[in-house]
Amino acid sequence: MTTTSRTGRRAALAGVAVATTLALTACNANAPEPAGGETTAVQQGGELHVLTSSTAINWDPATSQNLAITTLGLVERRLTSWRTDPDGTTEVVPDLATDTGTPSDDGATWTYTLKDGLTFEDGTPVTSADVKYSVERSFAPELSGGLGYHKGLLEGGDDYTGPYDGGELDSIETPDDRTIVFHLDSAYGDWPWIVSMPAFGAVPEDQDDVETYATDPVATGPYRVAETVEGTSVTLERNPEWDPETDDARAAGPDSIVFELGQDETVVAQRLIADSGTDASAFGASFVPPAQLAQVQQGPAKDRLVTSGPGALAYLAINTEAEGLDDVDVRKAISLAVDKNAYRVAAGGEISGDFATTLVTPGIPGREEYSDGVNDAAPEGDVERAEQLLEDAGWSGRELRLVVQDDAPNLARAQAIQQGLERAGLTVKIVPQAADVWTQTVTQGDGSGYDLTLSSWQPDFPSANGNIQPLFHSSQVGGGGYNLARYADPEADELIEQATQETDAEQAAKLWVEADKLILGDAPVVPLIYTKNSFLHGSKVENFRIPDFPAYPNYLQVSLSR
Amino acid sequence: MSIDRSAEVVGPAAPAVTRGVTGSPGGRAPLWRRLARDRFALAGGVVVVAYALVALAAPLVTHALGVDPYTYDLDALGPTGAPAGPAGGISAEHWFGVEPLTGRDLLAVVVMGSRTSLLVGLGATVVSMVVGTVLGLVAGYFGGWVDWVVARLIDVLVGLPALVFMIAIGAVAPGWFPRLLLLVLVIGLFGWSSIARVVRGQTMALRSAGFVRASRALGASPAHVLFRQVLPNLAATIVVFTTISIPGAIGAEAALSFLGVGVPPPTPSWGRSIGDAVTWFSVDPVYLLFPGLALFGITLAFNAFGDGLRDALDPRSAAPRRRKGGAR
Repeated sequence: MTTTSRTGRRAALAGVAVATTLALTACNANAPEPAGGETTAVQQGGELHVLTSSTAINWDPATSQNLAITTLGLVERRLTSWRTDPDGTTEVVPDLATDTGTPSDDGATWTYTLKDGLTFEDGTPVTSADVKYSVERSFAPELSGGLGYHKGLLEGGDDYTGPYDGGELDSIETPDDRTIVFHLDSAYGDWPWIVSMPAFGAVPEDQDDVETYATDPVATGPYRVAETVEGTSVTLERNPEWDPETDDARAAGPDSIVFELGQDETVVAQRLIADSGTDASAFGASFVPPAQLAQVQQGPAKDRLVTSGPGALAYLAINTEAEGLDDVDVRKAISLAVDKNAYRVAAGGEISGDFATTLVTPGIPGREEYSDGVNDAAPEGDVERAEQLLEDAGWSGRELRLVVQDDAPNLARAQAIQQGLERAGLTVKIVPQAADVWTQTVTQGDGSGYDLTLSSWQPDFPSANGNIQPLFHSSQVGGGGYNLARYADPEADELIEQATQETDAEQAAKLWVEADKLILGDAPVVPLIYTKNSFLHGSKVENFRIPDFPAYPNYLQVSLSR
Repeated sequence: MSIDRSAEVVGPAAPAVTRGVTGSPGGRAPLWRRLARDRFALAGGVVVVAYALVALAAPLVTHALGVDPYTYDLDALGPTGAPAGPAGGISAEHWFGVEPLTGRDLLAVVVMGSRTSLLVGLGATVVSMVVGTVLGLVAGYFGGWVDWVVARLIDVLVGLPALVFMIAIGAVAPGWFPRLLLLVLVIGLFGWSSIARVVRGQTMALRSAGFVRASRALGASPAHVLFRQVLPNLAATIVVFTTISIPGAIGAEAALSFLGVGVPPPTPSWGRSIGDAVTWFSVDPVYLLFPGLALFGITLAFNAFGDGLRDALDPRSAAPRRRKGGAR
């Protein structure tokens, strides 16, 4: 879900889920690349280094928000996974399961069969009970914070509190060791994408320890955790029990992978530019900061810079419950006063994104551009109209608190917003907060601590649902949800629910566009840019590609040249 | 600045009891003339005055030049957010170039940044001087357990990694607390140990001096003795210490802003500009130049001036033996 991200997150592209059922394996798994893009056969061997600013890797599938193609995917398989092709497409492919799911006629029951011969790293077979247990534990209150789309979709999910109280979730059936059946509240067409999320892996109940699973997981993927030096590094080695024949999504090139933790982003960029020693076999998991981005674009490292297409929506959220901001005209004035151009420059200029006008991001099926007179104002804003609106609304002129995370990129962006709004006579005070405090302020409690905040959102699966529901449904206000505008509108809620349940893809897309227009008409957020993420890699790193969706590199395909 | 006051205080009041603290009145050239003979100190003094004038008149200066440290000029930037054109975007419009990612005028940022630096530098120094002097006086005069407590406090403070504590306090301070005041207090309260130690030592020496014993015998209260009899004799020391403490405090503010716990943006601050500029160095080295020079200039000037002032006030430390300045 969330915000500007670290080791990886969401995703979206490709078409509707069910597209790729039986593209089953049979071929050997070190998949020769399909014709088309530049094809480099996946070279085996070597030690890959991943340089990240994160200080820890959370391997617990219940609390992780990883995308299917980043860190967790190396160690933990799920029912389905994503395969990205060099031409940029991403499709959902079977992983632990033999297909991406068989829906019942009403679309509300999905059945999966596990592949033959799958085992954990210790050689014990993976059974459907392990998958069921993994999903169940994601409901436990002590394991909150992971991707939770399934929690609202599975029957009885709202009241279930996890397996540690002894209860089972009856809407997940395991008629035999290899079959697992999910009963949903209603039809849900994107379910194959939902089961690619971390919780739909396999966790052996007898090896589960809530305290330690996050550092000591039981591997099903091509790698297992060999060594963890707290705050410094995590080393992965090959998992001998993994059978490439059963895996379509992973190339598993390197013999070992070392995550170097707690790295400064600027230093990482400089190291990768210098490309010496082990850094030639490394890539940066964090975005390249603006200064280094400018440096790289002028230097020889340019061909080792990989930039995604427009991915996440970066937006300014307006707290619709705050004093005076409950007036839609004031919010529209803010939307018009914002200087998107200054924001984009602060984020690193043209390479960092395209100007945004809608809530649904490019690349999502059914997305439509539209104009409501406010959303598509010039990138520099329309200060005169903003002033007029503020005057007519009788704006009090009080100081607005723009609460942002306390790091250089966010502060630079916040200042760009501040100077934009001040052109229209609004007074803005930037309140920097440490990342944890910021999360607390904007996602918990009554929201009295902020008027404005900056965030960005990459959908977790390629559907407008992933753009809109988490950010604008009233159930996502407070309590850890990311409805940062605290927007609660019964009409919008109803439309969101209706669109979620719509099984006809085209009809659903229409409803989402309608929701997009309805919500943005109330101006709870100001769409700023569709961000493009830039990553650097060393000269020996191959197959480092970013698909159209998500805007993150596919770790599962990366390999090293000799 | 403080020249007049020190000359006045030092002049008549003090019998030359202590080790060279006082300028004895008889037969020597007036303070300012002695100071004027030290070219280095004089230049330092002139530079300090110039900085002070610029800081006081900063809004007028920027207004007169038609620049503003808060206004974005995106046209001055290239497509990557780096300043367009060579040398950090130096042009007729922007004499010092512009800030990357914002296009804000760097001259305006540097000029307005002088206010932050001087305000925090002077404020923190005043805090540490007041605290250090009072504690030093009290400890040196009363001795006994008071002295023991103050001496241990000083020891602790000297051994403390002050910067680490300043960062920690800066990071946890509540958002509503005025940031400038916080910086003044934090830097000031971590910086009084050296002055306290010196004042304590000199007060101990003065305690047994004839004029002090005389006033005590006449029934003067301890407060009277401390502040009317002893303190004036320490004036020169305090003045010199103040002058050479200021650059340390300015540097501390810059360090904290550099590390991101100083004044919040967009308030201009040399330290933060330098911090930002470091990451841009390979693309836009000029960005580092002007805030860096400004900080370097004021620190050097205060040190030169403070050094000269000490030499002028203390004939024995004059000439070749020149101790390194910088109390911190």
